Amino acid sequence: MTLQALVPVDVRARLRDLRLALRSHAGGDGLGQHTSRSRGAGLEFAQYRAYEPGDEPRRIDWKLYARSDRYFVREAERDSPLTAWIVVDATASMRHVDRAAPARGKLDAAKTLAACVIELALRQGDRFGLVVLGGDAPRVVPAGAGARQRDRCVLELVQCRPGGAWPAEAAVRPLWERIAPSSLVVLLSDFFDDAAAVLAERLASARRDVASVQLLGADERDFPFRGGHRFVDPESSAERRVEAERVRADFLERFGAARAQLARRFVANGIRHAEYLLDQPADLPLRRLFGAQASSGASGEGAT
Amino acid sequence: MSFALLAPLGLAALAACTLPILIHLVRRLQLERTEFAALRWISARVQPRRRIRFERPWLLLARLLLLATLALLLARPVLDQVEANGVEHAYIAPGADPAAARALFDRVGVDLRWLAPSFPKAEQPLADHAVPFASLLREADASLPAGATLHVVVPRTLGGLDGERPRLAHALDWHVVDGEANATPVAARATIHFAVRYADEDATSLPYLRAAVAAWNAREPGRYLLDAAPLARGVPADARWLAWLAPSRPAEVDAWVERGGIALVAHDAGGGEPLWRDADGSVLARSRVQGAGRTIALPDRLSPTRLPDVLDARFATLLLDALRGAAGAPDRADAAAFEPARATYEERIDAAPLPGPVRPLDARFALLAAILFVVERVLATHVAQRGAP
Repeated sequence: MTLQALVPVDVRARLRDLRLALRSHAGGDGLGQHTSRSRGAGLEFAQYRAYEPGDEPRRIDWKLYARSDRYFVREAERDSPLTAWIVVDATASMRHVDRAAPARGKLDAAKTLAACVIELALRQGDRFGLVVLGGDAPRVVPAGAGARQRDRCVLELVQCRPGGAWPAEAAVRPLWERIAPSSLVVLLSDFFDDAAAVLAERLASARRDVASVQLLGADERDFPFRGGHRFVDPESSAERRVEAERVRADFLERFGAARAQLARRFVANGIRHAEYLLDQPADLPLRRLFGAQASSGASGEGAT
Repeated sequence: MSFALLAPLGLAALAACTLPILIHLVRRLQLERTEFAALRWISARVQPRRRIRFERPWLLLARLLLLATLALLLARPVLDQVEANGVEHAYIAPGADPAAARALFDRVGVDLRWLAPSFPKAEQPLADHAVPFASLLREADASLPAGATLHVVVPRTLGGLDGERPRLAHALDWHVVDGEANATPVAARATIHFAVRYADEDATSLPYLRAAVAAWNAREPGRYLLDAAPLARGVPADARWLAWLAPSRPAEVDAWVERGGIALVAHDAGGGEPLWRDADGSVLARSRVQGAGRTIALPDRLSPTRLPDVLDARFATLLLDALRGAAGAPDRADAAAFEPARATYEERIDAAPLPGPVRPLDARFALLAAILFVVERVLATHVAQRGAP
């Protein structure tokens, strides 16, 4: 399985105008992607290429012209300071599937979003890493760049299965060693476990730029169940025996309040937040987080 | 027209209707297991109410109807015969003049029949039968549909009546025409041997008996054979009636009586039911049952001095009735005086409905059950195709 299987073609096409960016450096429209630290073209030599009309004359290597009597342009590898970390929640609660679309669960959607972020980072030449939380211990793909790094991450994503609960505080600690300050952390979770939100807050308060996507099922938004149901929590195996029609209004009210409260909490902590409902196109939350209008700081607008 | 059940106990099969109800209820109470991570926002206070709600109510309805139809089928539904064509029913009592009856009911829409067993058409010849007139009248009354009028043509004298004037459920149209009912049952028509055994001193009684038998034969020619002989001849084997006119009688006679014979015995002072009395009320003859037979005992000889009735014109009838026994109850009456009464409303309500001519509905109900079965199958499989549990 490859990236193409994870990201639908139309979503992939719409990713073109998205840019991963740190909020703290956003605002400039200079040459590079990340204006503050990039020194423009030519910091570290990469290659020569033939002159093309439109290139700046000052970028022509005149010494080489003197030797070869041809115009060559020095190209430098841009030194990107951005490292994107994608943290995927793969606990058992991410097993949720909608009744209308039983083939695609929350974790599948999270994989798609992660693959989209990887695709964006790869296209920008940024470094990226992957953390999968869930199961026994966090699985980490160390940050790197390039197509092979992408393949490593995609492989990890494809192999990932939902299971287990959110890891304990101690198990998450290695993340702090790997995720350096000023990295972009994209957190993909349902945030039903408060520990996930706490982790997001801590990362944000420790100068990591956190963008969170809360994945919600259409069933959780609409509660379309009818008749007697025995609802079972996939993580704790707690259960509720209810008549679905009677608890619907109450559930929608309380769940909506919980979502709004989470959004407010993230905004207060400077976390970009977006909700993603499983029946929406996968690029929608990314557009909210990284789109042109989102980069000006209007974060936390994820409420649908 | 009314609907009736020949075997109402078959309705007990309606108890089977509880089965589909239970099935549909049980399915309802099963809770569907759903994995739901947002569990904590579902209120735990609201318990599932065990509401009486049926899963797939149309299927349940079809199944209930099917079972009810089968139960009705077991109860053998019938439809009381409908007289929708407005045919009036008129009956001619035997003895009445059929021509007079036809003249009375000479119009279209009248079903003229004999008041005889199975009510043959008036055009057919009337066969002899032994069913009394009153019984046939009640049967005709019971077999008529409600609201109809019972037309009866009767002769001036009615026979075959019983102790009670019939009370009919239907309105009665009572026509009396000329004629007389011949009420003698056909079973009694066989020739009867009447043996008379006499001692010499009782030979004077013989003429009275001869006269009586002659009177009988005048009414029913050749029916009664008199066999008068002295005592020495003994009791003949083929005799049905015997007159023993002698001061003493041997055990042979008693044995014959106990085998079923009927004997008129003179010089017998034994007990028994008083049969004839004189004007003062003293008993002239007694009747007593003896084994399978019966003895009519005269305390003295059969003579005008002891029994003045022998000189009376009624003696022949008296003797015949005494020998016949049960035929003594009066069963003849004047038709005009005997017009049956209409039963009161309460009597008509209380009367058990007699099974008249009915039309069985088994085939229709079987067809209905088959249709319902097909509907039930279609409903069940149709919903199953939609992926219902």
